[in-house]
Amino acid sequence: MGERLSANTSGDFMTLLRSRGLWREPDAVTAEPVRNPLTEVHGTTVIALKYREGVLNVGDRRATAANAIMYDRAEKILPLDDYTLIAIAGSYARAMEIVRYLQHSFKYYARTQLQEMSLEGKLAEVSRALAGNLSLALQGIGLFIPVVSAYDVDRSEGRIFFYDGMGARFESVEFGAAGSGSERIRGVFDYIIKTKGPFHEMTLEEALRESMLLLDIAADLDSATAGIEKVLPVARAVTADGILEIPEEQLAEIKQSLKR
Amino acid sequence: MVYTPYDFNESVRHRTEYIEERLRDGSPVAGISYDGGVLLLSLRRTQRKIFEIYDRLMFAGLGNQSDLEIIRVGAIDFAHQEGYARSPDDVTIQRVVGFAISPGVKRAFGDVLNAPFVVRALFAEMGRKPEDDLFYTLNYDGEFVSLNWAAAVAGTPEAEEQMIRQLVPEDADGAPDLQTALERALRAWAVGRLWAVEVHREEEEDDTLTDERIRTFLHEQLEDLQVEAGVLDRLTKRERKFRLLKDSEVQPVLERI
Repeated sequence: MGERLSANTSGDFMTLLRSRGLWREPDAVTAEPVRNPLTEVHGTTVIALKYREGVLNVGDRRATAANAIMYDRAEKILPLDDYTLIAIAGSYARAMEIVRYLQHSFKYYARTQLQEMSLEGKLAEVSRALAGNLSLALQGIGLFIPVVSAYDVDRSEGRIFFYDGMGARFESVEFGAAGSGSERIRGVFDYIIKTKGPFHEMTLEEALRESMLLLDIAADLDSATAGIEKVLPVARAVTADGILEIPEEQLAEIKQSLKR
Repeated sequence: MVYTPYDFNESVRHRTEYIEERLRDGSPVAGISYDGGVLLLSLRRTQRKIFEIYDRLMFAGLGNQSDLEIIRVGAIDFAHQEGYARSPDDVTIQRVVGFAISPGVKRAFGDVLNAPFVVRALFAEMGRKPEDDLFYTLNYDGEFVSLNWAAAVAGTPEAEEQMIRQLVPEDADGAPDLQTALERALRAWAVGRLWAVEVHREEEEDDTLTDERIRTFLHEQLEDLQVEAGVLDRLTKRERKFRLLKDSEVQPVLERI
């Protein structure tokens, strides 16, 4: 029985998957860059804003492959657990695989060790997943960039972390964004802060309004971003009470009010 | 040493006696479906007894702590590896108990050169509706039984039968609410414990434990032990469906009994 029932005492999910032969390491980097044989599906613009009760995440729903719009119902804002949201831009396939891994990794740790994984531990796990993805990313496929939003129970505040493709992690004071559209609207975030005040002092309603306006501008400037017109974006927030799903009706009302 | 079939029978008999003697004193576990979820309840001294296995799966048992721990971690490993490699919907109680855990327990029991598992375990799976909830009880010899509505593990099989009578009274109609489920589970625990320990010693054959006796016994036990109740919550929007009930949720029910 001993060999079938695990001796994996660390609560590390990757150790478990490796011991069962279920973890597929990306192939080693080749000396020559390879010609990309397939067109990947990419997710585009995602935005994270602090507000009074936590962090709001909003993402448009377009997924593209080169010039083609592949899908207009993509979900790019996903809960990792009750206090952590991940927003993803870039390779949809790798991102979904790694999100699934992270969800299981956090749950596995909590259930085996009988304590929650610390926020620091969760953030390091995201870095590790990105670093493990590097050899693929260097070959030109599989690169994705996440923005992690967490409610820090110890500090009673929402926090936003963004990453580069190698797994470097940075904490952001007010907002985070990723994807092709996000680069075009960077200045708008600062403009809002300077004219209307910091995001973390806004109500949910105000933050929702700003985030939808930002998506709308991104869609004007970036062909890969759908914005808010055809399909409403996905909006989720992370708060002291867990994940808050923003209902479509509320988003539809805000969209209407933005038309004025 | 020459090993004969006679030795095998003899050693199985010895093992059974040895294990059952050790299990008799264990604190029973009651499992019951209620309208808003599934409840597992037991009384304990210090060690935690009720554990989350997967999104809709929990577990508790009685017997040797480290044996229970091996089963707990084995079930969690299997559930997570399957949930990741396939999907969370593919992690079911019958796969976890029937294929991941029970064959190993059976093997350990049959292997007379190694120590058997000294456990009786109770797994619970929450469905979308109470009638879809499933309980599996797993015995030290690897045998398992699946049940709807309620299940129990206790020091003796007779005690388990008595517990089920408390959990599903004859006039029961559909799934109870959480308060009623807690009340039934507490009474079932007391009956299971009384039946396995006291009744066994006194060798009473009368199977009517009076309400008064159940109540007095439960309150005596609560001087040394505390209630542990875990639920899988059918109605929560949280990612995590499992939680241990707070004292403030259990106390009013204790006062009513």
